[in-house]
Amino acid sequence: MAMMNPVYTSRQDMLDEVITLGEEIVASSNLEVLRENANLNGESFSGKMSKFGSEYAKWYANHFVMPKPLVQAIQDNIVYVHDLDQYAIGTTNCIFIPFDKLLREGFNTGNGSVRPPNSIMTAMALVAIIFQSQQNAQYGGVSANKLDHDLAPYVTKSFVKYFRKGLDYFEEGDSAADYGLITMARSDLQVQYPRAFKYAVKETESETLQAAESLIHNLNTMSSRAGGQIPFTSINYGTCTSIEGQLVISSLLAATMRGLGSGETPIFPIQIFKCKQGVNQQPGEPNYELFLKAAECSAKRLYPNFANLDAPLNLMYYDPANPDTEFATMGCRTRVLSDRFGRNHLSGKGNLSFNTLNLVKLGLEHGIALGLRQTADEQGFYRELEHYMDIALDGLLHRFRIQSSQKAKASDFMMREGVWEGGEHLNPEDTVGELLKHGSLSIGFIGLAECMKAMYGKHHGEDTDVYRKAYNLIAFMRDYCDRQSERHNLNITLFATPAEGLSGKFTKRDRADYGEIPGVVDREYYTNSFHIPVYYHISAAKKIELEAPFHGLCNAGAISYIELNGNARSNPAAFLRIIQYALSQQVSYFSINHPIDRCSGCGYEGIIGASCPSCNASEQDVHIRRLRRVTGYLTGDFQTRFNAAKQAEVRDRLKHST
Amino acid sequence: MNICGYYPESINEGEGLRAALFISGCRHHCKGCFSPATWNFHYGEPFTPEREQEIIRDIAGNPLLSGVSILGGDPFFSAAEVSAFLDRLREAAGAISAWIYSGYTFEELTRDAKSPEYGLLSRCQVLVDGRYVDELRDPSLLYRGSSNQRLIDIPASLAQHGIVEWRPTFSF
Repeated sequence: MAMMNPVYTSRQDMLDEVITLGEEIVASSNLEVLRENANLNGESFSGKMSKFGSEYAKWYANHFVMPKPLVQAIQDNIVYVHDLDQYAIGTTNCIFIPFDKLLREGFNTGNGSVRPPNSIMTAMALVAIIFQSQQNAQYGGVSANKLDHDLAPYVTKSFVKYFRKGLDYFEEGDSAADYGLITMARSDLQVQYPRAFKYAVKETESETLQAAESLIHNLNTMSSRAGGQIPFTSINYGTCTSIEGQLVISSLLAATMRGLGSGETPIFPIQIFKCKQGVNQQPGEPNYELFLKAAECSAKRLYPNFANLDAPLNLMYYDPANPDTEFATMGCRTRVLSDRFGRNHLSGKGNLSFNTLNLVKLGLEHGIALGLRQTADEQGFYRELEHYMDIALDGLLHRFRIQSSQKAKASDFMMREGVWEGGEHLNPEDTVGELLKHGSLSIGFIGLAECMKAMYGKHHGEDTDVYRKAYNLIAFMRDYCDRQSERHNLNITLFATPAEGLSGKFTKRDRADYGEIPGVVDREYYTNSFHIPVYYHISAAKKIELEAPFHGLCNAGAISYIELNGNARSNPAAFLRIIQYALSQQVSYFSINHPIDRCSGCGYEGIIGASCPSCNASEQDVHIRRLRRVTGYLTGDFQTRFNAAKQAEVRDRLKHST
Repeated sequence: MNICGYYPESINEGEGLRAALFISGCRHHCKGCFSPATWNFHYGEPFTPEREQEIIRDIAGNPLLSGVSILGGDPFFSAAEVSAFLDRLREAAGAISAWIYSGYTFEELTRDAKSPEYGLLSRCQVLVDGRYVDELRDPSLLYRGSSNQRLIDIPASLAQHGIVEWRPTFSF
């Protein structure tokens, strides 16, 4: 039997824990456990089944696998290990998928092999299959970092097919003849064979739109992740300037705006529009119209978000000739661009795991909020911060050793097909460590705002001195990560944690330990990463200006949000201006939150109060589906799927307009 | 003059992000008005010089604003005071675009070129005009409540002596 972790002593207590775990899941009696993840219906059979697995796996990792100081730090409510259920078996977190390679070469899902597609319709169908296959080899998000570039060749293939058909139909030429490289940009062919060309354009446009619609439907319906969830997919696009690439982008946006079966907003994939000066930011640039369309789509559907290729931390890796070097994100915010082993591109690697620090508790222990001292004990704070960063890092390194020792066959699709770059050269029995080193190990943080409150009585939105201290704190953490990268020769990065389940967990424990402390522990959640609290009165511009510098520090990823109240879809000017302002301030990744309510009676979407403004039906009589974003993901209805902490956060969000 | 509301940033009262200032007092008394409390000229808080300065500073310091929107009540019942506010705002913050909402129609407001109402109108760029008519209520309308109400491009209309409707700069 494995060694029991000595943090736990009584065997009877252990047994009680295991029994309680099972009982709570069976009876659906602990909603916090069931709603830990808003995208999993924890009250369904498959949800419960996966809970059994994951809750026991966590328990096992706690008792038998993790280093003792890490377990103690978790017990002390200072460190949190994300996706703990995957710790013991060495699964990795998220990945950018090289769709170009997989589609070009074909692939094998493990149950059957697939030929390279010959049309955009098939290519988009295969994108869904690839996402699904990869999702089962890992636990975090699966992302396409340049889907427009990846899919453009298949638009061309469709076009060629239609063009040759058209030559036949309209008797304009010989369908089998050699016309050189046929593309939608061939104006000479357009002049010479106008009818065939026009026919081919029309057919290709319609096929691409249909393909995009089916992709988005697929990604919202395939409950293949752990049986009960849809894969956590992200698609990035926006910079491909070929006619074919532009068609991919406009079709994805059009399909998203059109919505799902009854017109409702798609929950997945997360969509990210990549913004680049010279490509899509000013009138006259090749993809500017697509940027406007992306803003329109975001105003209607909350996606796409906006990635800033011009922010200094992203621009330094940007090579216009290689779209794989364009900053893109995964899931809610993960960023993996640089690699100390030279793979300074995105696809073929990802984040391996991350541990998050509860800055609030450290602030409480060393600040003035508890009334134990007049001025903050900064020395003590930094000493303890570094101590816990050491523990968090040791945990990551320990987990990395477990991950590295896994055999290629354990993440079969990912390695065999080279989804993780180089995996295709491994034998099933080879271990994956040499390849995983290209991924990132990240230390995250939560509650900078409450930490500052606890330390100094004000948060970083309220006071410029406190702001400087807050910035220095995060800079210290980044510097720590940089130093440890050198020391361990690994990619160790700083992460602005997207705390979903976590946002309330740390808080609940701290409240039990310290009581309600005004401005620190008086809500049900801690503020995400370095964000200015959602309840604090501040202008949109000021929030952007204050949060922007932190993006440069968080090299494992960060996002900033602005909350808008009102019908964003009717005011594109405001929407565009806010996005471009955020980009100009060097925010790396940005999005605007605004409420989308949907009346299930008449299908009206917009802002709905107690009754529908369109059909006048009252909330008592018809269900009003209220769509909100939580830590980067959309969920069906925040009132039934969010955990209590995130419900509270949504209620508190102070809008920048009312 | 009293004000009965101030939003430093809003997307609901005109194009772009705008500061919205609500002036107390209205004698139109439209049936179905969504805020009859604001008919009272004493409703809300006094628009003191300090409050005015605060709002001017707010607007001048916000790079994201496309302008200011003035609503009510009906600001044209306090035309001279609102005009003076706009003048002081522009003195401090430069050429700020102003949208203004009124129960009066453009035709009514332009009857007398020497009136304070005309003075206020001519200081603004877009007028949302006309009384709210409950029977014509349409929630899908942009920036207004009932379909008789119009979005009017004030400078163009004054120049042409006729109604020129305002068109959005961007439309989705």
